Amino acid sequence: MVKMSLDPVQVMSGQVKELKVAPSSNGDSRGSWEEKEEFDQDHLGLTSKPIPVTGRRARKVEGGIFFPKPENAVTIAVSSRVLFRTEREQKVFEQKGVEEYLRYQIEHENEPFAPGPAFPFVKALEAVNSRLRELYPQSEELFDIVLVTYNHAHVGIRLINTINHHNLFIERFCMTGGSSPIGYLKAWHTNLYLSADADKVREALAEGIAAATMFMPEKLTEVSQSQLRVAFDGDAVLFSDESERIFKAHGLDKFFEHEKENEDTLLDHGPLKGFLEALGKLQKKFYAKGHRLDCPIRTFLVTARSAASSGIRALKTLRAWGLEIDEALFLAGAPKGPMLEKIRPHIYFDDQMFHVEGAAEMGTIAAHVPYGIAQKHNAKQNTGVRK
Amino acid sequence: MVSTVQNTDVKQKDSDHAVVVAVASRAVFEPGAGGGDGVYAEGVAFPLLQALQKVNERLLEENSAESLLFDIVLITTDSQQQQQSSQLISSTKHYGLEVSRFCFSTEEDFSESLLKNNVQLFLSTDRNEVSQTSQKGVLSALLDEYTASCPSEQLRVLLCGDAVIRPDTNPTPASRQAAQSFSARLGKMRQRFGMSDSPLSITLMTSCGGRDSCGGALQTLRSLGISADEAYCLAGAPQGPILSVLRPHFLLSDGFSGLED
Repeated sequence: MVKMSLDPVQVMSGQVKELKVAPSSNGDSRGSWEEKEEFDQDHLGLTSKPIPVTGRRARKVEGGIFFPKPENAVTIAVSSRVLFRTEREQKVFEQKGVEEYLRYQIEHENEPFAPGPAFPFVKALEAVNSRLRELYPQSEELFDIVLVTYNHAHVGIRLINTINHHNLFIERFCMTGGSSPIGYLKAWHTNLYLSADADKVREALAEGIAAATMFMPEKLTEVSQSQLRVAFDGDAVLFSDESERIFKAHGLDKFFEHEKENEDTLLDHGPLKGFLEALGKLQKKFYAKGHRLDCPIRTFLVTARSAASSGIRALKTLRAWGLEIDEALFLAGAPKGPMLEKIRPHIYFDDQMFHVEGAAEMGTIAAHVPYGIAQKHNAKQNTGVRK
Repeated sequence: MVSTVQNTDVKQKDSDHAVVVAVASRAVFEPGAGGGDGVYAEGVAFPLLQALQKVNERLLEENSAESLLFDIVLITTDSQQQQQSSQLISSTKHYGLEVSRFCFSTEEDFSESLLKNNVQLFLSTDRNEVSQTSQKGVLSALLDEYTASCPSEQLRVLLCGDAVIRPDTNPTPASRQAAQSFSARLGKMRQRFGMSDSPLSITLMTSCGGRDSCGGALQTLRSLGISADEAYCLAGAPQGPILSVLRPHFLLSDGFSGLED
């Protein structure tokens, strides 16, 4: 495991902020938090224990920021087709056109959609948020989930009814009525975009936004309700696809040779490095309050590289970036499905459809990152087709 | 003192059914700037006018006998521009703008002349002007330099679901009513077109409340016969970045909230 060398206190120092009243919440004052000491320690990263709140433990926390500023939060944009299951409606759209599709949606407005592939992930994000708010009630460093869909606003009421039905905490959305959502992703400072539409995902990647296409697996293995578990492939996801190119062009031996020669040269970064970084920042907030062992965020690297050889370069790169990953699994080419089935991540990112499908067969929710040489239609990140 | 001149180049609209939109001439043409040979240069509201015209054009394509059209009036209080009224008229004709008539008014009679002309929406770049007319019960919206970069092939109207967007216009029951009736007519116009490739796009935005306030606003719009194309719920996020992607020609800010205020 790569060890974190940054001292939490160092990270937090210099950030002593004045107490601020929660900005632009929806009107009601939520200042019912009694423990003053909690506030002062908030941004100093000091680790004295929070004063136990008698009689409040069981109830939902009353304090906390609920509408963080987008640039301060880790913004996750999800489309309606991955948050919910909309296959039937999709079929109406494909077979009968947009007018009929919208009519159908309005007719079924009071029927909530069933959960889609991104649903467990979003629920896990909310669980992390609750823990963050308990520890840092004044902080805006939270997950902020935004529904970004190119559905028409006609579907809005059904989507809102569904969110209410499932008791999700999603208060922000963009229904672009058919226009490209990419501009809005930027406006929301999106850290990760999940969609069912590979073209939109490619467009987002071309704009430097971490993005992946999600699919509904046939069966769903149960995932944790209290700990967010995120797994990443290495090459062309966390790292660039440079090594994969060598492998594809010159074969395995050349790949090993190249990696050995370049062991001390850092790999270039891949499209999801920033997201791992954002997760790491939140993890450190838990560590700072003594919650390293029961941290509600856990990250995994699941790579075909092997521990003794090509894996070393990956670890060195992560360390140089100051990124910690909780568990690194070097499969040396073995299939990923069984390992993922054991890990049970809420989401697994891979650049190869082969692995995504393999994972889905075993019940893991996998997301495809259409980046790099592994894609059939051309490689480099600058060719996102604009709509 | 108000004087009105009809534009003989343009077919006059049916006043009972048309939607009268008055635009300050200072917004349409650059004041004082000569485009050479006595023609004014384009102002910030140019794409807006072109978009309004596009809607009319498409409405008539769908139904050549359509009477629910935009009736565009250019209104001038600037005494200097009034002296150059002929230049105003010739510039309008030069660009082929579909302006039905020109209104010349003094500052005192300004709001009166709007009401007399049955103006349902007044657009200007002058904040004070907009504030005054709004208080007199005329639905008014402020244009700014961003309006210049809006598209000219599609009219994009933004309806604000919580009335906090424009604090300079004080919502009165009369202006709320005006906003609702104008928007309802806009909604009717919108229905003349299909879901895609519409020359008119109606967007709803709520800036402060959560999803339920947006849901409420959508219901309110529905009750007015308006189907929004796009909807954005900001829940406290800053509007600027979103607006710069949205690029609405103008915003209407009250009468759409789902909550009683």
